[in-house]
Order: sequence, then C-alpha cells, then structure tokens
Amino acid sequence: MENSCKDCKFYLPVDVCKGICKMEKTDISPDDLSCAKFERLPKCKFCRKYVPEKEFLGSCLGETIAYPDMNASKCSGFEWFQQS
Amino acid sequence: MKPPKSSHREETTNYYGQQPSGTIETREPKRSPGARAGKARELYFEAKSSASVEFPYWYTRKWEELEGEIPIVRRGAALKSGFEHLTPVIYPGELLVMGKAAYLRGSYPMPWLSEAFFMAVEDTLYKEAMESGKLTADTFTTVGKGGGNVIKSSENVISIAGKFGLRKEELPILMEVAKKWKNRSVDDVGHKYEQLVPGYKEKEALMRSVICMFDSGYTLPQGREVINYYYPLQYGINGIIRICEEGIAEAAGSPDMDRIYFFQAVILMLQGLKSWILNHAEEARFLSSLEKDEKQKQEYDEIAGRLELLVSERPRSFHDALQLIWIFHTAVLNEDAISGLSPGRVGQVLYPYWKRDMENGVIDRERTLELLECMRIKFTELDCFASMGVVGGVLSGNTFNNLCIGGLKKDGTQAANELEMLILEAGITCDTPQPTLSLLYDEKLPEEFLMKGIECTKIGTGYPAWVNNQVAMEFLLGNYGHEGMQIEEARAWSIGGCLETSPGSWMLLELDGEKHWIPGGSAPATSVGVHFLSLPKLLEVTLFDGLDMRTGERVFPSHGYALESYEELWNAFKGYFHRAVQVLTLTNNIQHDAWRKIAPSLVNSMLKPDCLKNGKDIGQMGSRFNSTFNVESCGTANLVNSLASLKKNVYDDKKYSLAEFRNAIIANFGFKTAQETGSWSLVDQVATGEYHKWKHIHKAALDAPKFGNDDEYVDRIMADWENWFCTMTHEFRSLYDQPLYACQISVSTHGPMGAVTLASPDGRLCGTTLSDGSVSAYPGTDKNGPYALFESASCWNHSLSQNSQMNMKIHPSVVKGREGSRKFLELIRAYMRKGGFHVQFNIVDSRMLKEAQADPDKYRSLLVRVAGFTQYWVELGKQIQDEVISRTEYEAL
Repeated sequence: MENSCKDCKFYLPVDVCKGICKMEKTDISPDDLSCAKFERLPKCKFCRKYVPEKEFLGSCLGETIAYPDMNASKCSGFEWFQQS
Repeated sequence: MKPPKSSHREETTNYYGQQPSGTIETREPKRSPGARAGKARELYFEAKSSASVEFPYWYTRKWEELEGEIPIVRRGAALKSGFEHLTPVIYPGELLVMGKAAYLRGSYPMPWLSEAFFMAVEDTLYKEAMESGKLTADTFTTVGKGGGNVIKSSENVISIAGKFGLRKEELPILMEVAKKWKNRSVDDVGHKYEQLVPGYKEKEALMRSVICMFDSGYTLPQGREVINYYYPLQYGINGIIRICEEGIAEAAGSPDMDRIYFFQAVILMLQGLKSWILNHAEEARFLSSLEKDEKQKQEYDEIAGRLELLVSERPRSFHDALQLIWIFHTAVLNEDAISGLSPGRVGQVLYPYWKRDMENGVIDRERTLELLECMRIKFTELDCFASMGVVGGVLSGNTFNNLCIGGLKKDGTQAANELEMLILEAGITCDTPQPTLSLLYDEKLPEEFLMKGIECTKIGTGYPAWVNNQVAMEFLLGNYGHEGMQIEEARAWSIGGCLETSPGSWMLLELDGEKHWIPGGSAPATSVGVHFLSLPKLLEVTLFDGLDMRTGERVFPSHGYALESYEELWNAFKGYFHRAVQVLTLTNNIQHDAWRKIAPSLVNSMLKPDCLKNGKDIGQMGSRFNSTFNVESCGTANLVNSLASLKKNVYDDKKYSLAEFRNAIIANFGFKTAQETGSWSLVDQVATGEYHKWKHIHKAALDAPKFGNDDEYVDRIMADWENWFCTMTHEFRSLYDQPLYACQISVSTHGPMGAVTLASPDGRLCGTTLSDGSVSAYPGTDKNGPYALFESASCWNHSLSQNSQMNMKIHPSVVKGREGSRKFLELIRAYMRKGGFHVQFNIVDSRMLKEAQADPDKYRSLLVRVAGFTQYWVELGKQIQDEVISRTEYEAL
C-alpha cells in the first residue's frame, strides 16, 4: 500500500482538498504520495483490531462498524497492526 | 432611479428595481488587519467548507453501546465520546485555538437530528422526505457558486447540499451511521407523532407549496439566542463539575431526583470537553517540538499552557477568558445543528479582565486588537452543516453569531466601554462576516461611540446593525413580564441570531475580590416554531380559493368567500394564515418534544441560568425565561403592496375585476418567469409576445400605492396587518405552554419563497425574489427618500414584535467624509426616535455588485449585508445577489 500525506502524522488538514505539512510548512494535498519524512498516523486501517469488509468499510474486532481512514489517535483501543 | 436599459424592456412598464450603469464609485478606503489575522484570513479564503464523520461516528457508537441507559445520561456519554475523539488541529499563527471539527471550516452531519437530506436522492429516506414536503424548499434554493462552497463532487470529494465537501473515503460510513438513526432521529420520531395532529395533511401541503419554509425541531433546534459565559468564567470547568456533584448528592433518592440525571449527563459532557481541550494542548506541545522558529514555538507552548490551565482553573487574564469563552461557544455548536448562537455583549462580559490587564501592563491596545481580529477569524470559520434549503435558503452559508455593543448597564447608565471601541476597530481593520455586530442604540450612549459605529458601517461591512434599545426592552417586558422580568433584567438583553431580541440576565462575576455584573443570555432558542410563512404565497392561495396554482395541489379547503369586498379578501387571508399557524404550531411542538427527549441540550443548558440551580435542561424549562417560540414571516412589503393594489384597482376604483387580476397573475403579466430568464430580480425580467394583453393591468398594479412612501392609503394596510399579526400569535401555545410572538426577518428565505410564488397583485413577477426584511420597501418602490420610508415603517408599534427589519442601500458618495458621517448618524437617530427597531445598511455602489457577479474571483473579499447578516458576495446564491443589486440605492439623504 502506498502511503499518502493524509496518512501521515505531520499532515494538518485545512479542508477536504488540501492541507499543510507540519514539518515543512508547505501546502500539500491529502492525496499526495508521502515523502521520506512520512510517519504513520494512527488510523483504523493501521490497527490490529480493524477487519476490512468492503471498500472504505470494516469493523473493529468484527463487532463494531468502523472505517479505515478514521484518525484513531484518540482511540484508547488502538494497537498498531504493522509499524511503517 | 434609472429605468431598465434594453429596448425590449423599455417597451414595458416594469420600472421597479434598479439597473446600475456608469462607473463604479468606491467605498471609503479600508484598513487592513494585522499580519497575523491577515494571514489567517488568506488561509480562510482558500479553504473549502468541509465535513467529517468523526464526531457522529463516535457519538453513535457510544449511543448504541448504552442502549437502555437513562436518555439524558446516554446523551451526555455520547457527547463525551464525540468530543474526546475529535482530531485536534491548530493552525500556524493562531492565538485562539480549537474549532468545530478537524478542518478550518469544519462541520459534520448530526444524524440524530435528521438523516434524510444528505442521503443519495435514490435512497428511500430521501424519497420519503421529499414526499412529505420536508425538502421542497431545497429544490428552489440557489447556493453561492464561489468562495468556500464545494458546489460539485470531484474525484475524491463528494459535494453535499451544494456546499460541504466530504472525503469519498467517509461517504460509506456516513451512510451506515445515518441509517442507524432511521426511525430514531428527532426528524423521524417527530414525523411519526406529528401525523397525529388533526389536519396534518394540510401541514405537508404547506411544506410542498413552500408557504412554510422548514421545520425547526430537527433542522436548527437551537440558536437565535444569546449564550451565557458566566459559569465557566466564574467557576471554571472543575467548579461546574463540583456544582453538579453537590446537586447529585442533594437530590439522589429524593422525590425530585430527576435532577441527578441532568447533573450526571453534564459531568460526562464536561469530561469529554476536558479531553478535547487537553488533546489540543498535546497537539500544541507536539507542534512546538517540531518548530524551529522561536517565537512560534513559544506561542505553541503558551497555547498548551493556557489550555492545560483552563481544564481545571478559572481564567487568569483577558486572553485566557477569551479562549475559554471561545471553547464553550464552539462546544455548544457541536451539540446541535445551530445557527444564530450569539456571543452577546462580549465587550462588557470581558471588560473586567481587560481593564485589569491594561492596568497591570499585561496587555496593550495593539495586542488587544490582534486578539480581537483573531476572534473575528475564528467566528468566521464557523459553518453549520444543514440541508440546502436551510444552509442556502435561510442562512446563505452564514451562522449569525451576533456580538452586541452599547445598551445600558444594570443601573440604567450607558454601557459602552473602551473594549467595545476596540471591537468596532477590529471590525473595521479585519472586516469579516462574523461575528456580525449590533449596536444597541440608546440616547444615553456617548457621541464618540456612535461615531465609531458610523465609521465602521461606512466602510461597507454591513455592521453594526443599529437596533433600538428602548423598543427591545419594551418588547421584552411585554413578553417576559409574566415570567418575572423587571426593568433591570430587561437591560441585560442582546440580539440572538441575526435579529432576534433575546432576554438576558445579570450575573455577578468576582475577580480579584471585586464584583462585576455581567450580561448573558437566559433563555433557550428565541426563534423556533413556525418558520417561515410566505405572506405573498398565502395571499396567492387565498386568491385561488386554497389552491397552489404552481403545483395544482389543494393546500386549504375552500375559504368560502366570494371575495366581493376588500374586507372579505382580508378575512379570507387571515383565515388561511390562522389555519397555517395552528397546524404548524402543533406539529412543531411535537418535533421539539422529540428533540428534548432524544437530543436534550447539555452544553447550552449548563451555561444558561438557572439550569444548574434547578437541575433541569432547557427543554425542561430550566432556563429563567421560556416564552421563546415564534411565528416568522417573509415578504411583508409584497403582501401589503398587493393588498393595496387589489383594494385600489378592484374594490375602490373598480378598474379591474378580481378575475382579471387572477388571469394576469397566471399569465405573469405577459412576462417570462424568473426561472426562464435566470434572474430573480424584477428589473431583469423579459416580456413575451403576449405582453401587450397585460400591460395595462400590470401598469395599474405597479402604479398602485406602495409601502415606503409615507402614503396613508397603503400604510394603513401595513398597520392593520401588523396589529393583527402581532396579536394573533398570542392565541397559540408553545411546547412550554407559553404564547407565541411575531418575528419578522426574512434572512434569505425571500429567495426560495419568491421562486415558488406566482406574480403578485403588486406587479411583482413570477419567481422573482420577495421583498427583504419586514419594513424594507420592495426594491425601487420607495421613491420619496429615506425619511418617507421611516414614516411608513413606523406606522405601527415595533415593540409588539420580536423585531422588525429594515435594509437600506446607500451610495458611498452620500456618506463620505466627516460631514457625511454626521448626516448618516442623524438619519439613523431620526429612525430610532420614531420608534424604528432596526436599520442596517449596504454602503455600496450597485455597479460594483454587478461587476462582482460577473467576475467573482476579483471580488473574493467583497462583503454585503443581506437581512441581519453580512456575507461574502461570492458565497451568496444568485437569488439573493439579484435582490441586493436591485434594492433602492439612495443617492441623497
């Protein structure tokens, strides 16, 4: 899976089309491919408990509906599936 | 007044409205914000309105987990979960931080209120909503095509309601979350039970005909009110939690122990707020760790320190206090879909902090101005996620956070202060739509303060609106006297929303051993209920004996009158109006009952006196004042002018029969409709080949007496209407068993409501926008100057109504220089002395607006006043743009 800026912990969202790199302070798009400084943001899709089911939908441990792109940095149950 | 220019139009007698021509006259030179706010505003200009699913996801997840819990506690836990999971974002250079969601102009759907409007058009939920008339207004609404509106979907972004962008990755989860609320949302539950109201089908017909614009119970159940910042300032968050814990200890197990659930829910919600604040503090620390610029690094650390303090302590400084009230303001907006949550008299609330900081050298004027400019940017960033009919047809993308200045103190002395002068200054240097300003005009206010208000109005911001303090107090004492309001408390009032007179109370703030009476709101939403009723459309249905001739649908049973006299016409109209208010009051009461049961207010309730004292939320009448439901109207001048035209042409002079007028209305006086021409202003309409058949009756309609010219013939009709309307509302009882009152602001409803209305007997053409405000003249019909307009407007007692609204457009050349300012103030003063409640101004050359319509990119920052709010021109729908252009432009005072 290729990483995009919106999956990076240094991505600051301005709106649905653009953001700012917290490191470089440059304007970037959420869909830009990540750079060498990329560090994963905790998201459901990076969580051990996330079970993908269909495009953009899945579940948390097969029980609660969830979606891959949700920022899970404030989820107390988040566990990294695989470190980048 | 210049007649329309095209040769085809010159053949017609359609001479109302104004077609601008010639070179553009600029406004007085504007000043610029400081570098910090300037950069923030540039970022705002580049940002799109963006929605996210984070909050509704966590809210719904927790809600489902707590099946069976006491509803209000379940609500508190769901809000807590939403707040604590929100992604914190802080933008470079911010001095005040935190926002509604993780975007600069962020917002989110609240499916617990309503879930149908953002479903796909082929979805059953959407289809059902269309059938019941809930979404009809959406189809006749135009949304601004420029600025931050996401008007169409693109590869990775979905457009919702023609305004909000949603990442495509979030669409499936939004649909899933929304479906979880099917048959459980306020909208669905309210709809289930409103059908029990006798005559319910009539309500659906009213909605489908757009005689009524929208239901308030599930669209905007809160707002049009003034927030109260007292409790966080006086006690801090931990102090409020202690009050709740004491309340629980006192009530647990006692016969009135219902209070414990409210207190428990507030505690849960506050715990969520604390996490939300601390998450931002953590983000500030993180940003500081990345930052190389020492000044910015220090600012991030200060932000973190301030937020860490505010989760447990009272604010120490003006800056702390400003940050704290912003947090609570945003928190209230995150609990419901809300428009018009007004900060109220912030300059008086925060004055004790500011004065002390100034005396101690903690802050200076320059820094104060910078903070106030930052505050303006934060308020401007606010968006409200709602349907197209609401966000475009009512709000025009605005959220109506009205900051009031002036008025009187508790002891009756004038209340303006130096901080309010700086608030005006920030409104000049950093001209943005929010917060809009209203100056509570009182004869006791100092001249210097009033002239500062004039300076601000003159640069074309549209604010401050000028509002009559004494008239408002008279209304408040009349409306809330039976709930115990006395003169002292009436002085604590403020404008809620764009122009809703809202009650307030004085609260005793202690700071360094000194005590200060500060004002704040003390009632829930002061504008919910019957929203809005189109007066010209109701007259149209009256003329056609209960039929909506646009759709062919019967709205009311036959009124039974032959309409052989003006009195019969008037009585038939009043009969239909009465029926509409009756059924809509009952159905709205049910919707609001569903709202208070399913999604009771916790953040706003906690803030409002006396909810924390009596342990009741605002839906259980925990507030000090509760007579807050109203009936809103739209298109007053068109109604009055139409009645005058029929009285004159049909009944008095007998020049035409009523049947001839009906035929002329159906034929649109021989013109194309506004939909066909693509313009919603009367002045731009184009005649058809059939025009010659109708030109004489059209001329007679246009030549009939028009409101706004100090003409007794038509002003008498206006007075009759107002005296009847403002009284008949008292017959109806709100959910809180209090009488309703009249509210007369058009906001943006005159656009879509005009779009569904056929030609009217005053000569207005089919589909064109209705008259704005309630005492504004119809564009181009006020020919005798502003003072004649004031005479007409003050032909009735404005304190009978929650408000009246007058919008005026003045050419910049008229008010230029110091002499122009003096004349301008005298003009306003004259209207206030006549008992006028409100007047607001566009100081703009119409030619500039025309040019901006043609070339919006060149005018991204152009502001105009619509009807109680200021908005960027490019974010207004064309219906409203056309109407503002065509308003009468005064070229002399």
